Amino acid sequence: MSLDLASHTPAYRQIANDLRRHLVDERLKPGDLLPPIRQLAVDLGVHFNTVALAYRMLADEGWLELKRRRGATVIARNAPRTVDRRQADHLLRQLAHIAAELRSVGMSSREISSALRRLAQGARP
Amino acid sequence: MTSTFWATMLVVAVNAILFHAMPRFSRPDILFAVTVPDAFVAGAGRTLVSRYRAIVWSGAAAALAIGLLLPAFVPGSGRGGWLMMGVVAGNMIVALAAWLLAHRKARAHAVPPSEVRVASLVPRDTSLPGGALLAVGPFAILLSTALLVYTYRDDLPDGPGTITSFLALGGVYVAMMLTMAVSLARRTRQIAVDGPAAAAEQRFRRVNVLVLVLVAYGVAIQLSATTVASIPAFGDTLSGSLGFVLLPLMLFNFGVTFWMFRVGQGGQRAVAPAARQEFHGDATPDHAWKVGGLFYFNPRDPAMWVENRVGVGYTLNVGNWLAWLLMAGMLLAPMIAGRLLF
Repeated sequence: MSLDLASHTPAYRQIANDLRRHLVDERLKPGDLLPPIRQLAVDLGVHFNTVALAYRMLADEGWLELKRRRGATVIARNAPRTVDRRQADHLLRQLAHIAAELRSVGMSSREISSALRRLAQGARP
Repeated sequence: MTSTFWATMLVVAVNAILFHAMPRFSRPDILFAVTVPDAFVAGAGRTLVSRYRAIVWSGAAAALAIGLLLPAFVPGSGRGGWLMMGVVAGNMIVALAAWLLAHRKARAHAVPPSEVRVASLVPRDTSLPGGALLAVGPFAILLSTALLVYTYRDDLPDGPGTITSFLALGGVYVAMMLTMAVSLARRTRQIAVDGPAAAAEQRFRRVNVLVLVLVAYGVAIQLSATTVASIPAFGDTLSGSLGFVLLPLMLFNFGVTFWMFRVGQGGQRAVAPAARQEFHGDATPDHAWKVGGLFYFNPRDPAMWVENRVGVGYTLNVGNWLAWLLMAGMLLAPMIAGRLLF
């Protein structure tokens, strides 16, 4: 995984986003162990709390099980049967902002649509 | 020619050889403790290394000439060994100055620091080689010796008190060594993420950790042997056999030192250039390395140990409070233990 310290996105969110992508793509499967918080923090050169926050975020989403001294384990996550409308609206609003930014840097609507389709199918940007 | 003269010349020669080899100890993309592009290492960097080595050997030759000629022209200048000490110190200063000069010149070609960090998502083995069983060994040796001392307590002219305290102090040293080994295994950054480069780096770190464990064994064996030799019943029985235990440990350490110089820092010189990681350096910023790359001071870096940039192996991040705790422990624990025990 990678982390860009020059990015405007907070480090904990970048870590969580990167891990979530691995989880969604099933590159990390139920039963897989993640590196201990301290190990990942030392490797990335960030504070332990930054990694802990990212792990906790994913644990709250149901992806990870955190156990003291045993680190984080990927667990089987049952996809919610009904869409959380509030959460989905919030994310769609963010997506609208990003789409506007993409148009402002010169991407056409068609290009944005096809890029979104590819991303939804698990491709990397 | 006195024996002092020859000893001095030996020190000067070893010093010159070490400084000569120093640029080779670093990772392939680090030169004079500065992260530089591959093109610089293969081009202008070579000229820089040649000039640096010329200064180092000129300094050694000058030291040799002064040591040889001054006593002949200035009678009494070699008295008391001061001249020879001055020769060694002067030689060291010239070599260090050459290093600092080369470091300053290399900084002009430094690769801009990257803000992108990479890490593997696969947990790595951070346990001690041999596990807890091997780590318990030195304590078991010291404890067995203490039991032996207790058994023969009536034969000891001064009683068992001082000897047992001596062994307890040995236990403190062993604990310190093992603490260093554990922290080195757990609190060091893995730079290469995957492939042969990562495997070489992990092997290199593990060997360094093993050396610390074996040093703990060496301390325990040495102290126990000295203690057992002070018991009249065993007085002479150990004098010849101690070498059988300590010699393999010493040979292993020499072998490891040679191996580390051969594979280079982090084991990366043993990895084919194509298999090395794409990014440059050792994932530490150049600006955090002080005094020509001798010390690493970065309070924002959670790593307690980082790869040395001057020489092979690891050095403490002196900007990390845990490193200070370890250094204070290394210094104070034996002092406090010595004061309490003796």
